Amino acid sequence: MTAATYGPAELMAVAIARLLRDGEVVFQGVNSVLPMVAIALARRLHAPRLIYVNIAGGVDPAPRYLPDSTTDAELARGSASLFNNEDFYDLCARGGVDTAFLGAVQIDAQGRTNVSAIGEQARPKVRLPGGGGAAMIMPTARRVILWRTQHSRRVFVERLDFVTAAGNVDRVVTPLCVFQRREGRLQVEAVFPTSSAAEVAASTGFALDASAAWPVLAPPTAAELAALAAVDPRGVRRQEFHGG
Amino acid sequence: MPFQPVAGLHGSDIPAASGLRTVRDPYGGAEVYVVPAIRPDWAILHVHEADAQGNARIYGSVFWDRLMSRAARGVILTAERIVPTAALARQPELTVIPGLLVRAVVAAPGGARPCSCAPDYDVDRAGVEAYLAACGDPAALAAYLAAEDGALRGEPAPVGGSVAQ
Repeated sequence: MTAATYGPAELMAVAIARLLRDGEVVFQGVNSVLPMVAIALARRLHAPRLIYVNIAGGVDPAPRYLPDSTTDAELARGSASLFNNEDFYDLCARGGVDTAFLGAVQIDAQGRTNVSAIGEQARPKVRLPGGGGAAMIMPTARRVILWRTQHSRRVFVERLDFVTAAGNVDRVVTPLCVFQRREGRLQVEAVFPTSSAAEVAASTGFALDASAAWPVLAPPTAAELAALAAVDPRGVRRQEFHGG
Repeated sequence: MPFQPVAGLHGSDIPAASGLRTVRDPYGGAEVYVVPAIRPDWAILHVHEADAQGNARIYGSVFWDRLMSRAARGVILTAERIVPTAALARQPELTVIPGLLVRAVVAAPGGARPCSCAPDYDVDRAGVEAYLAACGDPAALAAYLAAEDGALRGEPAPVGGSVAQ
């Protein structure tokens, strides 16, 4: 991929990176490849003093490469300390985590998530992996960013089959747009330059405020794409798009 | 610890589905969820180094292994290397699991394969795919395990002291 081209993985990584602030404490957990890449990108660009804590126990690590799995010990390499998972939960509970990334299968208009089951609770059609610590992290982290590599009415639903976690969701990044939670409801903050307001509305299962025109996200700059290629030459950012 | 208060869980369906109760924080007054103790019969943990008494070191992140070793009624260790007790006693602060919790130690070099046991070895992606392909077919799984067994037997013997089997 040349520096001038980008696809959904690059757009999502850049959009997420732009949300991160210099100096804040940012956590990334299991199965979180896009956040891992976005954090590395933000640290390289505008947030060199961002404090990066991950589920592998790393605190500001210096991995030789970004691995396929976000529990890989590579993400603790070069770390001057190891921060164990139980310590992370305590830090989060006492308000010491500025931004945490959480995944979801279904997301509702309030930014609540379902990672537990699809279908009737007593006899689910699909049993999902479960929330891990999401139900503890989402209400206690100061700010939560969700990401989902699919944007459809099956993902963004009016009613969740099961509420795994509820809390401090601030943004949701998809291959079509960035949602921001305002007055308790997700609204479109910016549509990706590769999508359209009509596509976002048609792909979202809950009502959106369309009274004002939605801004279009500024396309990734050459500098952002070059930095992205430098931090992720193996292209793990595209991994989540393979399995759907 | 009979049960533990935890921060969060508010707004989630998990407490109702799992029968989690709340108590009033006696100091702050807020409703706090308390989770019951998990008391499994066994925890089976793979470690880098253990002595024959079950004192064990884990290099790098311990993830939940330390907590699991304390929660279980008994611990079974599989170890990359069996080492003399004296080697562990030189730096006891590196012993994550004390032998008093451990009921059995198995010398298992390569025991985490095809997954990783950093920093000793990385994940073997082709091995994971071969394992997944063999699952569900008893004959294929037996062939996979036989091949793994042969590969492991070809490796150098564990370093250090006596091997507890």
